[in-house]
Amino acid sequence: MIRTSYALNKILTALARQHVTTNGLTDDDFVGQDLTDAERAALKAGDITSLYHLGANPYLIRRVFRSRFSI
Amino acid sequence: MAEIVAAALASHAPMITGRPDIATPAQRDRLHDGFLELRRRLAATRPDLLVMFVNDHIQNFPYSNMPAFCIGLAKAYDAPSPGAARLMRIPPRKVAGAPEWAMALLEGGLAAGFDFAYSYEIESWDELAVPLHFLTPDATIPVVPVYTNCGAPPLPTPRRCHEVGAFVGAFIRSRPSAERVALLATGGISHWVGTPETGRINPDFDRRVLDHVARADIEPLARLSEAEIERDGGNGGQEIRNWIALLGAVPGWKGDVLAYEPVPEWITGCATVWVHP
Repeated sequence: MIRTSYALNKILTALARQHVTTNGLTDDDFVGQDLTDAERAALKAGDITSLYHLGANPYLIRRVFRSRFSI
Repeated sequence: MAEIVAAALASHAPMITGRPDIATPAQRDRLHDGFLELRRRLAATRPDLLVMFVNDHIQNFPYSNMPAFCIGLAKAYDAPSPGAARLMRIPPRKVAGAPEWAMALLEGGLAAGFDFAYSYEIESWDELAVPLHFLTPDATIPVVPVYTNCGAPPLPTPRRCHEVGAFVGAFIRSRPSAERVALLATGGISHWVGTPETGRINPDFDRRVLDHVARADIEPLARLSEAEIERDGGNGGQEIRNWIALLGAVPGWKGDVLAYEPVPEWITGCATVWVHP
């Protein structure tokens, strides 16, 4: 079963489309978004591993949190 | 009658153009030579049109409306857009589309039972921009992209991609006009990107894929499951659907591998392949 978080992918898609890169999101980015506490924490921390396991699309993780990758 | 005058496969990755400096020079040069040889062979066939089997990177198709297959009807494509150009370090440019031809393909597909989505506006990420930077630097050949969902699972089966490609090939050959059509599939081969294994490449998988392509032995590739590709080729390996689709359009054609380099710095098993009768 594929784990996909629509909420995570919705917010990351909006950022990727604007070619935004960041180390972590802020509370201002979450206004009106239906995110779980774990999803908010991972987005704020730029925790790329947690985001993957929570169901964020890896291409979007890479696009938005590029600076969090060692390669 | 229209004819397919050329077919080629090539990897795409933003860092091929964005960070050529970080790759081993020998690997970079061999891959660039492979692109240049593809360019030379493609130009020699004097194509009127380039039909491209490619995939989106969630730049255009969101999770609120995700097509399995989508035909581009745009007059022109950002390849790359100004935003993407910053990362890929190539000048932003528009590549002409062929909307009337694409509409005929769309209508033909729907009539034949291939329920394509369509789009009048597509901002290319690396799927068009990077290979076309090498292959058509003057952007004189209009393109018709056929997008396949390779990055937002669940994905269409490789078998279905092969069938879509077979339809595209039959459609081209049925055209009464004297068009010279080239085919180009981009993406793959193995790469793990954005996952906890980002940077991993599996040369064994890549060589297996290339060996099948070289022998026109496509059935084992069409039989692969999404899980098998993910395990052996990574999430980026799912892009071989584009290759499988192209090979469906030219049954029996064999691949001449011009370059293969597993480039960890670019996070991709990179190849350029000329496909010929």
